Amino acid sequence: MRRTPARPADTLESGALRSLRVLVPLCLAALIFFGAPRVADAHGVEIEHRSGEAVEVEAAFDNGEIMDDAQVTIYAPDEPSEPWETGSTDEEGRYVFMPDTSIPGTWDVQVREAGHGALVNVDVDEGAVSSEVGQSGGSGYDTLQLVLMGAAGIWGFVGTALFFMRRSS
Amino acid sequence: MPASVAIAGFATTGAMAWYSLRKIEQDDDPRAVIPKASMFTAAFFVASWVNIPVPPVSVHLILNGLMGVILGWYAFPAILIGLFFQAVMFGHGGLTTLGVNATMMGVPAILAYYVFRLRGAPGLRAMGERGSRALTGVFAFLGGALGLGLAALILFVLLIGTVPSSLDGATERAAITGLVIAHIPLAVVEGAFTALVVLYLLRVKPALLEAPLKKRPGEAKLAGGR
Repeated sequence: MRRTPARPADTLESGALRSLRVLVPLCLAALIFFGAPRVADAHGVEIEHRSGEAVEVEAAFDNGEIMDDAQVTIYAPDEPSEPWETGSTDEEGRYVFMPDTSIPGTWDVQVREAGHGALVNVDVDEGAVSSEVGQSGGSGYDTLQLVLMGAAGIWGFVGTALFFMRRSS
Repeated sequence: MPASVAIAGFATTGAMAWYSLRKIEQDDDPRAVIPKASMFTAAFFVASWVNIPVPPVSVHLILNGLMGVILGWYAFPAILIGLFFQAVMFGHGGLTTLGVNATMMGVPAILAYYVFRLRGAPGLRAMGERGSRALTGVFAFLGGALGLGLAALILFVLLIGTVPSSLDGATERAAITGLVIAHIPLAVVEGAFTALVVLYLLRVKPALLEAPLKKRPGEAKLAGGR
């Protein structure tokens, strides 16, 4: 398992205005199915199923709140400015899509809700989605690290206050 | 967010920071306020960890109104520094949006300061000690609530105005509206918190609150001098 480098989200982040600190650990896993396309046909109902490789994206704000019904925009490597597919996440903050493996390169998946969003990259090789878990946005630190960093930050401010108080007393 | 908005945010923040520092420089002893400013920056820095659920979303404390009420012009650089550390350490807010965020929270903070100063208006001073205490609480509440409310309003205008064309506009606008409406109860919470802090300081260390008002002679001197 390796982490893809986080890229800064290019969407407007209100940051402090919501507990979604900007974005979202987006987790993504490649699901792999094998099989041949089959068509079931009965009494005029036609169901088609296609098998291939799918990518699952899971989006949550950095306080853990699920990003449900967030808008997903997918960009193929050959046309980075035109959305290849758009959709929205389900109640669990998930979205599944099947990249066109004939377009190899880095696919961009952007998830956005109420001005908060993040971008995650999916590498597609010729004919296959690289099977990995990537993460984007968020700080990527665990609780202990966050608490220690917060304490260090607070001590910085308190120390500054003490330094300037020393003068007056 | 469009690059033009980010750049405009940095430009406004730069201008505001410069003007705030000029205002601070006119203070009799700017260094004397630094301990207070630094302590409140620490509070602002951690306030974003306090989540308040407002179904269906959850919002977190900002305290920009409180910063303005207590720190006056010191609030702008303090908020800028607090946001910078939040962005660098926790990836909260982000560096590209630092300018926009600092303007969005810092400018309402300054307005909150002027709202709070209204408590000293000549017509309102006639009230007795009890009355002036109540009045201080009321104006602290108004400052805290307006500071946050205005920041949410700026957020709303900015987000609505920059919905990317690749998104379904109606859905995104509804989500933004929902998020901003969730800040109305937060404005009440922050107003009440600001009033609590101010009334507490008034009881234990009123000198901390006088600093903004004490500047008056200096300002008068300035007005006369230029």
